[in-house]
Amino acid sequence: MDITTTNCEGKTVLSINGRIDTSTAPELEQAINREIEPGNRKILLDFSRVSYISSGGLRVLLVTAKKLKDPGDKFGICSLSTEVLKVITLTGFASIFPIYPSEGEALASW
Amino acid sequence: MPVGNDQLASLTWQQVPGAAESAIYPLIRKIDILSSNSYLITTPDVIILIDPGGLSDQVEQLSRVIGECRAEKNRPVFVFLTHAHIDHFLGVQSNPAFVHPDAFVFAVHQAGACALESGDSRVTLADLLQTPILPLKIGLHLFTEERAQLPGVPRALCFPPGAEITIVRDCAGDDPAGLPREQIQFGSGPALVAYHTPGHSSDSICLRIGDLLFIGDLLFAANPGVAGVSGWSQEALIHSLNGVEPLIAGGGIRLVCPGHGRVITAADALRMLSSVRSDALALANIAELNHERAVMTAAFAGDCMEQVNELFIIMAGRLQYVSYIMDELGESGIAEETSALIRSDAIDELLETFRNFTQEHQRGQQVPIHLVLKAGQVIAKLERTFHRNELASIIDPTFVRRAARLLSDYTTMLRGFTPPGECSDCDLVPVIDAVVTGLSVPPFSDDDILSSSDDDDAFSRILLARIGTRPLLEGVESTVLAEGASLRAFIDHEHFTDLLTYILEDLIGTGARQIEIHTGHRDKNVVVTVAGNVPSSGTGQKPRTWQFLRGLSERAGGTLAVQEHEGFHRFEFTAMAV
Repeated sequence: MDITTTNCEGKTVLSINGRIDTSTAPELEQAINREIEPGNRKILLDFSRVSYISSGGLRVLLVTAKKLKDPGDKFGICSLSTEVLKVITLTGFASIFPIYPSEGEALASW
Repeated sequence: MPVGNDQLASLTWQQVPGAAESAIYPLIRKIDILSSNSYLITTPDVIILIDPGGLSDQVEQLSRVIGECRAEKNRPVFVFLTHAHIDHFLGVQSNPAFVHPDAFVFAVHQAGACALESGDSRVTLADLLQTPILPLKIGLHLFTEERAQLPGVPRALCFPPGAEITIVRDCAGDDPAGLPREQIQFGSGPALVAYHTPGHSSDSICLRIGDLLFIGDLLFAANPGVAGVSGWSQEALIHSLNGVEPLIAGGGIRLVCPGHGRVITAADALRMLSSVRSDALALANIAELNHERAVMTAAFAGDCMEQVNELFIIMAGRLQYVSYIMDELGESGIAEETSALIRSDAIDELLETFRNFTQEHQRGQQVPIHLVLKAGQVIAKLERTFHRNELASIIDPTFVRRAARLLSDYTTMLRGFTPPGECSDCDLVPVIDAVVTGLSVPPFSDDDILSSSDDDDAFSRILLARIGTRPLLEGVESTVLAEGASLRAFIDHEHFTDLLTYILEDLIGTGARQIEIHTGHRDKNVVVTVAGNVPSSGTGQKPRTWQFLRGLSERAGGTLAVQEHEGFHRFEFTAMAV
């Protein structure tokens, strides 16, 4: 799994490429924490190149949602593949944080 | 060094209990299907190797030890096979010391001997394991017809390396165990007794020397993925168990040495054989486990495990969701208990291991039977960690029920049966209504919550279920258009319910906001069509999922046609009308 991070106007986009499974979920968590710790509190995860998410990956999303719930914080994911969208929808996670069709739509609404 | 009276130490010489001037060097392996245990025995007159194993390294190791024994005192070497499956002998085929026709005398039951001499890939399971074999010369055929005609008459036999034995076949019924028996005498030392114990294979034998009984694969004969191999027979297995159990219970046998896994005491062996008997009794009319069956079961394993994986991720995610909400409500204790209901890390790891194994299989590094057995192991572990009742009380029972049915269907297939599809006359209209209602209405109403507010436990239970159970069709415009008030078809009710739920979930999960279900007749069939538009951002459902749904439709008693065009998905289930 590769993660590319871009920051623009106080908004951070982490573009993930690969599977989020047992071995890579901790790597994603660390990458998110590296952004939150110095004060970047608007985090968007671009899932356009994520084909699979395990329950370990889902846990990372919830932990992040818990950290980013102060007023002014933003957290969401965008550009989900069919497989990942199905998991996020059926688990109910879509009611905890927003799902955006594209990065542009997410950032424009923040 | 020996490790006590109830165990033999691996790779160590120790005295054979009950046999003077005899020693045994066991090579005990962790259980797998690549190779068996091996047991090397020396007496003043002979070196006996029972089951050289399936790996060349193992045989090389044994060959070195045999060389040391012969350097100490040159004696003939007899290699006995408890049966002619390749995991018990294949390693010899790459070892020059073993394949030289006069080096060692191989001793195998007549049926196995013929298979080995002709290089029979079916009897030896070389076909199932997709492994080439060479013909192997067998010097001593056990349980021949000729000796069966002359019971009680000792026969002296000589072999090229100068080995001499006396062998005698017992009269039927002479042995209290009731098993056909041949006693082999090597010089003046202890005799080796062979018992014909078919069932796992037609040529299976048990061997006894002193207080040790070598039982080959009898303990595993009823295991899923083992039962049904070429030559397997339920009737013969039960008959052999009827003979072996009294043989062990009769006393005199202290340790039982299986073909795989650790040596066990006679008492443990009796307990385990009793369990083999129970399992075997349930295996009437199972399919033969051959290469074709393995290919079919491996394909089912692939489809099935992909869905199992998805269901477990969703169930774990639902619990995490409930836990998150409870935490938000300040109920951290309940949140923790809820998330602990699924050991998601362990399950993720288990399913990831299987995925890697599947990829090796797709690259041709694993043969189908390996994948079949691996899926069986994973499913058995999932079954042990799956708290279905607790889960079903919190999250949608349909997830739990479908996961349980998939695990059960695969185990059924692995055991040699066809996954159950009990078709009967069924009205599809109320079945479809029940599925749609189940996905539209929460299991507990607001009134239920209010009326339980005086009872902490009931309130907590209802609240958890209310959070964990999401009416997925809520917010989706769903229409059911039925041709008539009833639609009777010959289907399996449970598998049809699962099929319809999977299809609706796939459409909802991938973003369909409108779903239509049509029911009606076409010719002599009933047709149920489910259609929905999935937003174009989706990449479309995976063909693999469709393949799974088609298989599920067959188990439901019908067929499924799937169409996808520019985000429009249409699933058409057809079954015989009643």
